[in-house]
Amino acid sequence: MVTAAAIDDRSLQLTFVLFLTVVVITLFTALLTAPQRDEISEFYLGNRTMSPLRNGLAMCGDYLSAATLLGSTGLVALTGYDGLMYLGGTTVAWMMVLLLIAEPLHRTGRFTLGDTVALRLPRRQRPVRVALSVCILAIATLYLVAQLVGSVALLTQFTGVPSGTTRTLCVVVIGTFVILYASLGGMPGATVVQIFKAVMLVVGVLFTAGWVLHHFHWNPNALLERAAERSGSGPRFLEPGLRYGGTVSNKLDFLSLELAIVLGLAALPHVLMRLLAPRRSGVLRSSVLWAVGLVGAVCFGAGILGLGATALLGRDTLVSTDRTGNSAVLMLAHELGGSVLTALLTCLAYLTLLAVAVGLTLAAASSLAHDLYSEVIRKGRATETEELTVARLSGAVIGILGILLALVAWGANTATLAFLAFAIAASAILPTIVYTLFWRRFSAGGALLSLYGGLLCSVLLAAFSPVVSSTPGSFYPDADFAWFPLQNPGIVSIPAGFLLGWLGTVLDKGPAEEPGTRERFEVRMLVGADD
Amino acid sequence: MPEFPPRRNDHPPFPHPHAEQTPPSRISDHPEFHSLRSAQRRFGIRATVLSAGGFLLYVLLSSFLPAVMNQPLSGRLTVGLALGLGQFAVMGVTAWCHVRHMRTRVDPLARGLRSRLQHENASRRARSAAPPGGTGRPVQPGTRGFRTW
Repeated sequence: MVTAAAIDDRSLQLTFVLFLTVVVITLFTALLTAPQRDEISEFYLGNRTMSPLRNGLAMCGDYLSAATLLGSTGLVALTGYDGLMYLGGTTVAWMMVLLLIAEPLHRTGRFTLGDTVALRLPRRQRPVRVALSVCILAIATLYLVAQLVGSVALLTQFTGVPSGTTRTLCVVVIGTFVILYASLGGMPGATVVQIFKAVMLVVGVLFTAGWVLHHFHWNPNALLERAAERSGSGPRFLEPGLRYGGTVSNKLDFLSLELAIVLGLAALPHVLMRLLAPRRSGVLRSSVLWAVGLVGAVCFGAGILGLGATALLGRDTLVSTDRTGNSAVLMLAHELGGSVLTALLTCLAYLTLLAVAVGLTLAAASSLAHDLYSEVIRKGRATETEELTVARLSGAVIGILGILLALVAWGANTATLAFLAFAIAASAILPTIVYTLFWRRFSAGGALLSLYGGLLCSVLLAAFSPVVSSTPGSFYPDADFAWFPLQNPGIVSIPAGFLLGWLGTVLDKGPAEEPGTRERFEVRMLVGADD
Repeated sequence: MPEFPPRRNDHPPFPHPHAEQTPPSRISDHPEFHSLRSAQRRFGIRATVLSAGGFLLYVLLSSFLPAVMNQPLSGRLTVGLALGLGQFAVMGVTAWCHVRHMRTRVDPLARGLRSRLQHENASRRARSAAPPGGTGRPVQPGTRGFRTW
C-alpha cells in the first residue's frame, strides 16, 4: 500500500506529545462535565442550554470525519475535478438536515430516532424499535471500524507499514479512549471532544488553505494553473472524468456514490442524535445554520488543500508515498510549515477519528439501551439507573466489537466501509424518517419492510459488487461472484428502500393505529410543545 | 375559545412514549393549522429539490455532458468549476431564504396555534380536575424540561 514513511521522526514525536496533551485535557474536561447523578437525559443529550455557536461546532464535529480531511483532499489532489464534486456532495448533504429533518425531528423526538417513530406508530412501536436498533448498530459498527482502520492507515504515514504489534496497540489505544469518552462521559463528554475537534478543524484547515493561497499570491487562477501543470494529466485535471470517467458504469457508480452521500450523511445516527440536544427549536435552527457555514468553509478549504498539494508537490511525489492519496494533506503541511504544521494536522486527524468514533459509539449505545433494552426488553419499566448502566455497558461492548473487527479487517479500504455505511443510512433510515414525518398513511409494516429491506439490499449488493470479489483491490481477489457491476449500491438500494416502505404500508394487514394518532403527531411536529 | 369547546372524556389516555399531554385533535382541523402545514411543507420540498436536486443534476451534467462543462470561462476556470462554486452560493441563498421564510411565515402561525393549544389544555385540565384519575399523569423524571401544566 505504502512504500515509505511520508513524514520524519521529529513530527511523529511532536504529534505524539500534542495528541496526548489534547486527549488528556479533553478527557479530564469530559470527566468533569460527565453526568454526576444518574440522569438519563443528561447522558443522552448533554447540556441542553448551550449557545448556538457551540452546538453548531459540535454538529460540524460530528458530521465531518477524517475521511473529509484526509480522504477527500487526497481525492482532489489525485483526480482534481471529480474530487471537488465529492466535497460538494458533503456540503450539500448538510442542507437536507436544515431544510427537511432538523426541526420536525427535534419537535417530535426525545432521546433517539425510535422515540419519534414510536410517537407516530405507538401501537406497534416495539418491532419498529428493534428494526431501527439493528440498522443503527450496523451503520455505527461499519463507520466505527472505518475510523479505527483509518487510525492504522494514518500511522502508516509515519512508520511505513506497521508491525502487527504496533497496529494492535494503535487500534486498542484509540478504541479504549473511545470507550472511556462514550461510556464515562456520555453526551457531555462527546460534546467536549467534538467542540475541541471542530475548532481545531476549522482553524487548521482554513489557516493551511490561506497559507496555500498566500503562496500563490492570492491568485486562484495561478493555483489551478500550477495544479493542472504538475498533475501529470494537464488540463484534464480540471475536467470531469479523471477518476469516474470512461464507461457508463463508472459514471453511474459516481452518481450512486453522490446519491448515498447527499441522502445518507443526513441520516447518520450520531448526526440525528446531536439534533435533539438543544432544548429550544430556535436555538436548534441557529445551530444548524452555524453548522452550514462551518461545514461549507471546511469543505471549501479542503478543496484548496487538495489542489495545493498537487500544485506544490506534484502528483508523482504524492503517489510514490501513498497511492490512495491519503497522505496529501500531511505532505503539504510538511512542505509548507515543516514538522510543526505536520504534527498539528496529524494530531487534528487523530482527534477527528476519535471524535467521530465517540459520537458513533454513543449513538449506537443509546439506541441499544433506550430502544432495545428499556422500551422492548423491559417494556418501558426500566429505571433510569438501570438504563444508564445498560447504556454505559453497551458503549463498552460496541467499542470492543469495533476494536476486534478493526483488527481483523485492518487492510480494508476506509472509504469503502464508510460509503457502505452511508448507503445503508440513505436506504434504510432515511425512508423511515421521511415517511414518518411526511406521509399520512405510513404504517409499521412499511417501516419494518423499508428498514430491514433497505439494510439487506445495500449489504447484499455490496457483497456481490467488485468491492468484495473479482478485482485486484477487493477482499477476495481470486473469487468472482460480483454480478452487481457498481461499487456503490446506493443507486439501486435507495429507491428500493423507499419503494419497500410504500409497499409495506399498502400491503399492511396488521392492526391499525388508533384514529387521531397521526393528527396528534402532526400537531406536535408543526406546533411543537416548547415555549 | 367559545367556538371550540374542549371535549370531555372521549379520548382515554393511552400508553404514550412521551410524557407530556397529547394535544387535542381539534387543533388539526383549524384552517390556520392547514396553512401552517402547507407553508412549511411546500417550502421545504421546493428548497430541498433545488439544493439536492440541483447538485445531482450538476453531477449528471459533469458525467454525461463534459463538453458543456469544459468550456473555459476565464483563465483555468471552466463552466463546470464555476457551477461547482455556484453550489456554495445556491446553498447560502437557500439557507437564508429558509430562515426568512420560517421567521415570517411559519413561526407566527405556530406561535398563535401554540398559545391556543395551551389555553385549551389548561381549560380542559381545569374541567377534568374534579374526577379523579383524569389528569395528573406523572411526568417521568428525566424527560424534556417542558412545562408540565
